[in-house]
Amino acid sequence: MNGTQESSSAASAQRQVRVQLVSKQEDIALPENTGPILVPTGLRRYALSTLVNNLLGNDKPVPFEFLINGAFLRTSIDEYLTANGISAETTLEIEYIRALIPPLHIASFEHDDWVSAVDVLSATSSAASWASSSIPQGQERILSASYDGLLRVWNMSSQIVATSPSAVEGGHSASIKAAKFLSPNSIVSAGLDRTVHLWKYTESEDGFSGKIAPQLELYGHKSGINSLAVHAPSNRILTASSDHAVGFWSAKKSDAPAAPESLLPSAASRTSKRRKLNSSVSTPQRGPLALLSSHTAPVSAAIFDAKDSTVGYSTSWDHTLRTWDLVTAALVDTRSTSHSLLSLEHLPEHHLLATGTSARHITLIDPRVSATTISAMTLRGHTNAVVSLSRDPHSSYGLISGSHDGTCRIWDIRATKTDKEGVVGESVYSITRKSLEEAGKADAKRVGGEGVKVFGVCWDRSVGIVSAGEDKRIQINRGEGVLSSA
Amino acid sequence: MVASAGSKKRKAVTRDVEEEAGTFSGDELAGDLNGALSGSANDLSSDEDDSEVELVDEFSSDEDDDEEEELDSDEIPSDGEDAVKKNSAKSTAAPADDESSSDEAEVNFRIEKDANGNDRYVYDEINPDDNSDYSDIDEDSNTIGNIPLSFYDQYPHIGYDINGKKIMRPATGEALDALLDSIEIPKGFTGLTDPSTGKPLELSQDELELLRKVQMNEIPEDGYNPYEPLMEWFTTEKEVMPLSAAPEPKRRFLPSKHEAKRVMKLVKAIREGRILPYKPPSEQEEEDKDLIKYDLWADEEERPDHIMHVPAPKLPPPGYEESYHPPAEYLPDQKERKTWEQADPEDREREYLPTDFGSLRKVPGYGEFVKEKFERCLDLYLAPRVRRSKLNIDPESLLPKLPSPEELKPFPSMCATVFRGHKGRVRSIAVDPTGVWLATAGDDGTVRVWELLTGRQLWSVQLSEEDAVNVVRWRPGKDAVVLAAAAGDDLYLMVPSILDPELEQASLELLDAGWGYAASKPAPSATEEGKKTPPQWIRPSSALTDSGVCAVIPLRYVAKSISWHRRGDYFVTVCPGASTPASVAVAIHTVSKHLTQYPFSRRIKGGGPPQTAHFHPSKPILFVANQRSVRGYDLSRQLLVKIVQPGARWISSFDIHPTSSTASGGDNLIVGSYDRRLLWHDLELSQRPYKTLRYHRKAIRAVKFHPSGRYPLFADASDDGSLQIFHGSVTGDMLSNASIVPLKVLKGHKITGELGVLDIDWHPREAWCVSAGADGTCRLWM
Repeated sequence: MNGTQESSSAASAQRQVRVQLVSKQEDIALPENTGPILVPTGLRRYALSTLVNNLLGNDKPVPFEFLINGAFLRTSIDEYLTANGISAETTLEIEYIRALIPPLHIASFEHDDWVSAVDVLSATSSAASWASSSIPQGQERILSASYDGLLRVWNMSSQIVATSPSAVEGGHSASIKAAKFLSPNSIVSAGLDRTVHLWKYTESEDGFSGKIAPQLELYGHKSGINSLAVHAPSNRILTASSDHAVGFWSAKKSDAPAAPESLLPSAASRTSKRRKLNSSVSTPQRGPLALLSSHTAPVSAAIFDAKDSTVGYSTSWDHTLRTWDLVTAALVDTRSTSHSLLSLEHLPEHHLLATGTSARHITLIDPRVSATTISAMTLRGHTNAVVSLSRDPHSSYGLISGSHDGTCRIWDIRATKTDKEGVVGESVYSITRKSLEEAGKADAKRVGGEGVKVFGVCWDRSVGIVSAGEDKRIQINRGEGVLSSA
Repeated sequence: MVASAGSKKRKAVTRDVEEEAGTFSGDELAGDLNGALSGSANDLSSDEDDSEVELVDEFSSDEDDDEEEELDSDEIPSDGEDAVKKNSAKSTAAPADDESSSDEAEVNFRIEKDANGNDRYVYDEINPDDNSDYSDIDEDSNTIGNIPLSFYDQYPHIGYDINGKKIMRPATGEALDALLDSIEIPKGFTGLTDPSTGKPLELSQDELELLRKVQMNEIPEDGYNPYEPLMEWFTTEKEVMPLSAAPEPKRRFLPSKHEAKRVMKLVKAIREGRILPYKPPSEQEEEDKDLIKYDLWADEEERPDHIMHVPAPKLPPPGYEESYHPPAEYLPDQKERKTWEQADPEDREREYLPTDFGSLRKVPGYGEFVKEKFERCLDLYLAPRVRRSKLNIDPESLLPKLPSPEELKPFPSMCATVFRGHKGRVRSIAVDPTGVWLATAGDDGTVRVWELLTGRQLWSVQLSEEDAVNVVRWRPGKDAVVLAAAAGDDLYLMVPSILDPELEQASLELLDAGWGYAASKPAPSATEEGKKTPPQWIRPSSALTDSGVCAVIPLRYVAKSISWHRRGDYFVTVCPGASTPASVAVAIHTVSKHLTQYPFSRRIKGGGPPQTAHFHPSKPILFVANQRSVRGYDLSRQLLVKIVQPGARWISSFDIHPTSSTASGGDNLIVGSYDRRLLWHDLELSQRPYKTLRYHRKAIRAVKFHPSGRYPLFADASDDGSLQIFHGSVTGDMLSNASIVPLKVLKGHKITGELGVLDIDWHPREAWCVSAGADGTCRLWM
């Protein structure tokens, strides 16, 4: 410690600043009420991290990130003070948090076709928490939806526990674009065959085999469904479809109204199509609770408000983000941007909606009526359309995005800078596809993300970052050190 | 005593009197009366400086005489008065004056008694100063002067010393003495006898030294250094205008007494009025009193220049090369001089040759002076007096103010998706009216439908095993989804099986409706017009029916262009093949009636077979392009309404601006040609292109406006493998022309077999475009 300080103080200017190191996390808080420490202003993140580790007396150093006034320290303290016009005389309050470990590749689960969506069932996933069922460590399940029309459930040892039935047995007749666990025992999926399927998922005792059985088919959309969101306590499903409508469905057979006749597969006139639909299994067919249609272009994503399940948000290619009151199926608010919006995620702690655009960035929008500006922040870094977003389970500031450029990027909305276009964020880490590395083309940039497009990403606390893409595999990445200590 | 005094200085007095007689021309009486007194007085004054007067007179007598003559008139009166006063004063004080004068005289002389007992004045020796010219004469020297000594041979003496005593001939020495002398040579012995004294001439050491120096040709003067450092008053180098370092002569510092006198004389003369400083006014004016003079310019005031006044041209100041002594770098070398001399005077770059004259006084007279003046006069004589208004325009201001591409966002800038799957070239590409699907057709005989954003192939049909599918187009309108494709000699209408049942039903019904109509219609009179029989629509084979094809039109010739009418009921096909009969090259098909018509019975004049055709987006006008021109036909009136001549050699494609004529502006047309040009036409403006954009290196294959009025974009696709995106905004009013800004070159397609990008299309709503490449890929750009 002394050596580090001496060398750093010798290297830096003789200026010193009084800092108060604080942490909101109990396990890494400084042992006693440590007073302000005088440190040279030339210190950077690494030196400060070493300092804190020494103060904590950790045997194994834990990397820390440092926040001054809510923004990450990315320069030396001296440069930060100069840039922000803060006097070195004042006592600087520096909050430190665990640094994000670069997420390492854990495993890849190979598929036969492109994988469009993933979801995770774990102790901390929303499906499990809604059902208040406990999933033991190691018994997490990963759900993948593929373009071959099949759902697969994987265990953590890259084995397929269950596969959904094929089209003739009551499965999807076209590619699946979205799938989610509604509860540990039920799965919702939707795709280009314009139907939402509700499945019953059962597992054998040993947990190595399971069954996905069709439970309900929901008809109502006239074009492919792009994404769906579930809310298990109220048994409600939101779907976003290319027919410009947002579907609001009930997962309960008894609640749901009858399916519209004209949209049932039996209505198809062509004999060639009827062939497929002569399924041996007859599944109950139901219609939507409401079709919310005020978008003027394909709807790309629809989600429930994280706190209030009666509020829904949807984004569309018509550049708008719309807020819905789901009880009355009424449009509450419309926010227009300048680009097609392709994905949506809610950051409830900050009252922000993150939406990925076709213009290769993520826009953070405050949906509240009181908000004056439409775009609160822009996260730039992707080189293609951003089609999938997921919250960081560890931090309310974190976010991961999957893009057609073949990367997943981790963002922290505190790591920002202000330029002429407003507040702009930069990604903390970028996860590339393992398939590229295996092909020996890790450095080669694919034009248009050809072959490596990421279609879906999910970040779970215990499993890690699960992403699916055009390379026919789901890829699990995890920041090992962080998760073990957390 | 008075008498003695007068006699004593008689000589002086007489001289004075003589002078006074010269000056006192009219006062002789007074002079005579006071003669004695004045004489004594003059004596007293003159005694003091007797000798000095003599000496001074020698130097200044001439000047004095002149001055006295000149000053005569001035000084006489005052001197006369002074003299009278002086004389009267001195006459009264004469005795006292005598005593004082005798006292003073003792200083200069002493009175001795001569032989006669008279007083004899013995004057002191005049002691000349060291600087005097008078040498101290030796007491013993002979004073006989320059006469031969032989005159004194008879006398015992040889002359007289300065006191008049005889200098006795020295006794001639005895022979013994001479011998002794010769033995004991004294210092300075010469062996010579001084002729003036007769003694042996002995020379002192100094004299010997002097003689030696004379003998040695040295400067005899003592202490003279012949090698003193040279004080250069004038430089030894020869200079044109030398500077002197010589010390100023003393006369420069002394005020000239003579000049002062002259000035004083002039001042005096002016004061007394003898000299007038100005010319007295002549009395001539009075004579011209009665002569009337007119001042022509008395009331002249400044007038503005005449309207035809041409100010003399302002020539630039002469440069260094025109100097009489230009710097060396301006002087022509031998070669330049030669070329200048050999060139004709008209061809010379400049009329003179820079020449170094060294100094201004060496510059000769200008040889061309007379000729030049003559020519100048000739010019002026012949010059037309016309004012030429010179345009003073900043060239920058003439350039159109183009906005920067950054301000014109959004426009496609990056490849977002690559659609891979076709084997061989992709010949045609189209985005469906909802903007979700993409249809492509290629050399492998398939038509494929893709999910636009992800690049996932959703549907495909093999229309032909050997023939390429040349073109595929979606039917406009969202009530039904129909694809029209041309493969080989046939046209196919398809409903892809990607639709929901309702829409699929509607689409199928739309296509099926015509079967009944065609059946009910009487069979065409094939016999009337033998070869111009319109084809009958037929049902496809069962294999094709299963894959979604609903109707086939056997066109019998290869169609390369399909264009739908905006309402979706008609589409026009063009068979550009050279073997196609002119009458069947352009066909209009009606979907609802399953009817095919040939609107043209003859070939369109000028420019080979028709290439492509489009319906006007709002008017009932069909535009048909052949190789050279685009013609617009009013279908309802059966009239040719417009001819556009882009000037291209071979038109490949054209497109009509989607908002043409709706916003009261004129129709705008873009034309792409195989000779690499993209031409923008404003049909209201001219038949000729409003703007020619020549940015591609190879043929342009396709041009397309953005179909919605939302983005004023258009793009072209070229065989050089690139797409170019342009901003082309059309204003609603007729006042301003369209502004065209090149935005972006999109590269990515590989050139395969000399072909690059074969077709492009725009997304119906977004600023995204898709391109079909000869490399078998399609790309989405956003």
